[in-house]
Amino acid sequence: MAQTTYGAEGTGGPVIEAKGLGVKFAVNRRRKRSLREMFIHGTKRDPNAEGDEFWPLRDVSFEVARGDCVGIVGKNGTGKSTLLKLIAGVLMPDEGEVHVHGRVAPLLELRAGFNDNLTGRENVYLVGSLHGMSEKEIDERFEEIIDFAEIKSKFVDSPVRHYSSGMKVRLGFALISQLEHPIMLVDEVLAVGDKAFKRKCYEAIDRMLANQRTMVLVSHSENDLRRFCNRGLYIKGGGLALDTDIEAALDAYNEDTKAEIAERKKREAEKKKREADQKREDGEGPNGGRAA
Amino acid sequence: MASRTLAVWEHRKVVGLLVRRDLKVKYQQSVLGYAWTMLEPLAMTLVYFFVFGIILEANRGMPEDATEFGGFLLFLVAGILPWTTFGQILGEAPRTMITHSKLITTMKVPREIFPLATVGTKLVEYLLTWPVLLVFVFALGGRPTVEGLLLWLPLAVVLTFMFGLGVTLFLSSVNVLLRDVERLTRILTRLLFYGSAILFPAVMVLDSEDLPGWAATIFQLNPLMGIFQMHRTVWFAGFEELTPTTLALTSSVVGSVLMLVIGYWTFRRLETSVLKEL
Repeated sequence: MAQTTYGAEGTGGPVIEAKGLGVKFAVNRRRKRSLREMFIHGTKRDPNAEGDEFWPLRDVSFEVARGDCVGIVGKNGTGKSTLLKLIAGVLMPDEGEVHVHGRVAPLLELRAGFNDNLTGRENVYLVGSLHGMSEKEIDERFEEIIDFAEIKSKFVDSPVRHYSSGMKVRLGFALISQLEHPIMLVDEVLAVGDKAFKRKCYEAIDRMLANQRTMVLVSHSENDLRRFCNRGLYIKGGGLALDTDIEAALDAYNEDTKAEIAERKKREAEKKKREADQKREDGEGPNGGRAA
Repeated sequence: MASRTLAVWEHRKVVGLLVRRDLKVKYQQSVLGYAWTMLEPLAMTLVYFFVFGIILEANRGMPEDATEFGGFLLFLVAGILPWTTFGQILGEAPRTMITHSKLITTMKVPREIFPLATVGTKLVEYLLTWPVLLVFVFALGGRPTVEGLLLWLPLAVVLTFMFGLGVTLFLSSVNVLLRDVERLTRILTRLLFYGSAILFPAVMVLDSEDLPGWAATIFQLNPLMGIFQMHRTVWFAGFEELTPTTLALTSSVVGSVLMLVIGYWTFRRLETSVLKEL
């Protein structure tokens, strides 16, 4: 049965195991299922025709060993973020299973959990505790977090709704990068902040990786992927196309992208040609284009 | 099921954090925070006291001896204060999962903790209505009794919040998939307010000669009717007219347990779809 389990941190074996993972969404729902149908038939007898089902991800199996940094590459909408969410346990698979050994630090949405009406300080304590940090740990690291986020001390005690979006994201990254969970899931968050802050983020991630922590990274930036990852998963059309080192995955992705661009150009050229033909035909008509 | 309950228990600290956050946000918004939250039910109580007590004479349903123990006004206050909390639960329940969608889609926690936190916040707010209630009790000469405080009070509070948690689990998950539920709930809350006999002694309905027997039975089958009667019996213990009938008592206990079971079952059953829609 489809399931997600979280075990204790083991010493040997893979840290993340995915077996035949699949998740299903209903599309083109002309109507929502009525309450009666939902309760009586449950998920088994969906009245929506089968054609309306969409599997953003299906039959994906892989293992991630301790200390690995895995980059996930692929086009937009091929299920990269969905895969990350399945590993994070915030989405439940309809097929297959995921086993994650150890706690997960999700860098999925950095501002998540910040309450606009609370101050920066209160938010750090709230979100830090939500992610499992003890009050003492936060006390010890509070200065470091604020320093890293480059929040001026006069803003620490003003409500987060007065922060700029950059400040919020910086504070989020500074906080979550303090988590000592053995597994990190990163979704495009490295694109935050200005150049100087980005460099600090890179250094922070380097430090974490040096610490034998496992990371799964979704990104469109080849530089980021090459810099951190030793493995690459290439997701194509909702399935796992390649599971190799990051170079090979990126090469395959670029290859497919080139082929796609070439295909599109070819189609455009054909279309233009057809239009030109059409015009010529119209022009050769008995009355010749526009009537006089 | 058991492992899931354990997981929720392990996250009790998170529930506490969410409750504290909600209270903090609510009461720091305005200087008079607490006073405002009490002012509304009190103003409504005054209005109802004039309309129902003096003009419509709903107090004729009260036993005559009860007048010296607080009478109709204490009867109203003791019903309206817990109902205000319960009504707020009904109002916030449908949006519980939606307002927390950011947290739910980024944090791996048992999802039950969000409805739990909503109901937990309301429990604290209910406890905060007690000082006001006690002022009325002392001013009007209310009579605390052993039976009221040790039997009816715990029963009333436990059942109210058990029912409230069940409703919240049910509505919070269903509303993600069918957003009309929120509007429907608002109408139902209104109906339940009158259906649960908050403004008049239930005995007036039961003794009414125009009411057919089956309607009286249905009236007593509403678990909320019995539950809110208990909230008043705390101060009027011993008056048979103000004590829930056996049928009302049974339906409130069975109804609350059933609501919790149905709510939890629905919540778990819809969890996968809810996560996709958030």
